[in-house]
Amino acid sequence: MVDIQSTPFLWVVVTIGLYAVAYWGYGKWIDRNVWRSNAKKATPAHMYMDGVEYFPVSRYVLWGYQFKSVAALGPILGPFIGITFGWIPALLWIIGGNFFIGWLQDYGAMMLSVRKEGRSFGPITYEFTGASGRTNLLAFVLFYLIIISATFIALIAAFWQAYPGTFLATVGIFAAGVVCGQLLYRFKVNVFAVTALGLLMVVGSIYLGVLVPVSLSGQPATGPRVALAVNLGAWSPAAWAAICLVFLALAAILPTPTFVQPTNYLAFYPAYAAIIFILVGALVTPFTNIGVQMPAGPFLVDPQGIIGPIWPILFVAIACGAISGWHSLVSSSSTSKQLDIETDALPVGGGAMLSEGLLALASLIAYMVLAPSFFVNHNNVASWVQGAYVLTSPFLGGLTQPVLTTFFGLVLVIYAITVQALVTRFFRLVASETWSEGRFRALGHKSVATAVGLGVPWLFAISGSWWALWLYFGGANQLLAGLAIMLITIHLARVRAPTKYSLIPGVFMVVTTLSALLWETWIFLWAVILYTQGTTAATAGGVLNNVRPPLNTQANALYALIVNGVFVAVGAVLFIVGLSMAIKLFRSYARSRAEARAKVVAAADGGKPGP
Amino acid sequence: MAESKDDAAPKGRRGKMRDAAKGVLYGMAAHGHVTAALRTRMYLEHLFMFITLGDMLGVPVIPPYYSLKILPYAVPNIKSWKQRVFRERDFTDQVF
Repeated sequence: MVDIQSTPFLWVVVTIGLYAVAYWGYGKWIDRNVWRSNAKKATPAHMYMDGVEYFPVSRYVLWGYQFKSVAALGPILGPFIGITFGWIPALLWIIGGNFFIGWLQDYGAMMLSVRKEGRSFGPITYEFTGASGRTNLLAFVLFYLIIISATFIALIAAFWQAYPGTFLATVGIFAAGVVCGQLLYRFKVNVFAVTALGLLMVVGSIYLGVLVPVSLSGQPATGPRVALAVNLGAWSPAAWAAICLVFLALAAILPTPTFVQPTNYLAFYPAYAAIIFILVGALVTPFTNIGVQMPAGPFLVDPQGIIGPIWPILFVAIACGAISGWHSLVSSSSTSKQLDIETDALPVGGGAMLSEGLLALASLIAYMVLAPSFFVNHNNVASWVQGAYVLTSPFLGGLTQPVLTTFFGLVLVIYAITVQALVTRFFRLVASETWSEGRFRALGHKSVATAVGLGVPWLFAISGSWWALWLYFGGANQLLAGLAIMLITIHLARVRAPTKYSLIPGVFMVVTTLSALLWETWIFLWAVILYTQGTTAATAGGVLNNVRPPLNTQANALYALIVNGVFVAVGAVLFIVGLSMAIKLFRSYARSRAEARAKVVAAADGGKPGP
Repeated sequence: MAESKDDAAPKGRRGKMRDAAKGVLYGMAAHGHVTAALRTRMYLEHLFMFITLGDMLGVPVIPPYYSLKILPYAVPNIKSWKQRVFRERDFTDQVF
């Protein structure tokens, strides 16, 4: 056994302990004293029960559903950038962010929706901020979805490129999904038999991937001789991204039972097996002699000079696992309509979020046990696979390195691609809502919306600036969280409940994320300004630094400039829309406080306090 | 689909833990798909009701003779159909 302090074990125990305090201490207190949840109060699931959208579901089922809906690639990849500032700040944000803000937002969004008859955030935003507020939200969500799509497409391409075995394994899972969908829905085969067959096909897919790696950047240096390899050089990530679009277009257009649904169902099993393996791997580090290798930090600025300062970047880099705006949409969409009793909101909303924090912790540990060389230039985005291999190989030793790395690489791909399939479909719905009439109604058409929802992100993705995309995604996502917390605060002010527990996190998130968006926009804008002062190699350096191959050559400087310009535009739009939304929400909060005070004064004077 | 708390029979600690584990697994693996399937059925039912009752709403989709033949099958669904069709919907409802 090694010194416990040099292994990640201690930090796992400390984090679990603090999360327990967050749930049973702070969480229960907020539940009792701020929201005053009441098990006897009828929830929308009972009031509007229709057996389709509104029906009561056990808290265990809802917890599983909520956790699965919120836990994806975010908590896995966020710590990859977060660890740039040292693992201590990253760990502190995962603990503190979730303790004071993360669970509070998920739980609060769920309670708010329950108290508002199961309505989702669109109508609630309309009620609190008027029609323009909802239009702002719609515009913000559209850009947010494009940024998510670009990030995930870039990452899927990077994963296929980094681990050549994962491509055929992914195709195998898709094939297994289609077969299982047909067996299940067309031939009515028993679900357990279909699951068993599907899992066998998944295992077969992983072995097929190991046996026949596919590479677009030449013959893999190591591995089996049977490899499907062509050499597209610097264009290989763009080609992988284009291949990814084909799958996503199919997922967006085909009926869900044919493709997306059975594929997601099968993908669930390897994805969650991987999480369990890594958590176990982190817990047994004192026995497996695996120590922390990354520096503890804190570094106030990225030592490599790429990412920027710790504030605000760290707080947007690690989103899911600490706090994520996407969760507020999930909490107020399906889950709140199926909550059996109000007191279930804490275990379902808060509990699932704190559990996701553990997933982020496990991922951080997978990075902590790697050497700093893995993080040079922030290019090795799939290094989680190596960390997972280091943590799990001692007790999964029967499996060879190619099998384990293909397995963990596949897990990264399926986390990204299954979420992205849903995001593409959601973009299509939002686009049809936005452009259902008027001059641009062609954009609302099913095929056009899908093409836009994939084509524009692909153009972003091939810039190679995945870290910039990630920070934009994090900024937009965290800003959505800040806005959601402000909606929660407005409601609390209206019902005269204590607001400071959500107002302080809300203000912190809004200010931090707007600053992060501004910072990222400035990075690209500064590069463009430098370029406009002359087109020498030195002045082109700025725009070239912000992109990756094939665009980062002097010959492609003009294309790099265009990419930088587009990033400036996107950042500016996100910032302006976010700021406008934040102002509307703060004004609404001030109005709500004033109205609540007026009611109290009226009641004290003997008047009616109002409804 | 999981049952409401009211329907659950009293069970021992082990039984409760087994149910909880089954519930979590079902929730993670299948609940979202079941909900999606229910929604798909809901939209098909909306279509069916619209076709059946269209002429009563001023939209003669099929001749009244066939509407009347199908009406007995549609009547039990009218209440929940009205409830669902009149409900306020938003794009944020479509997230999950």
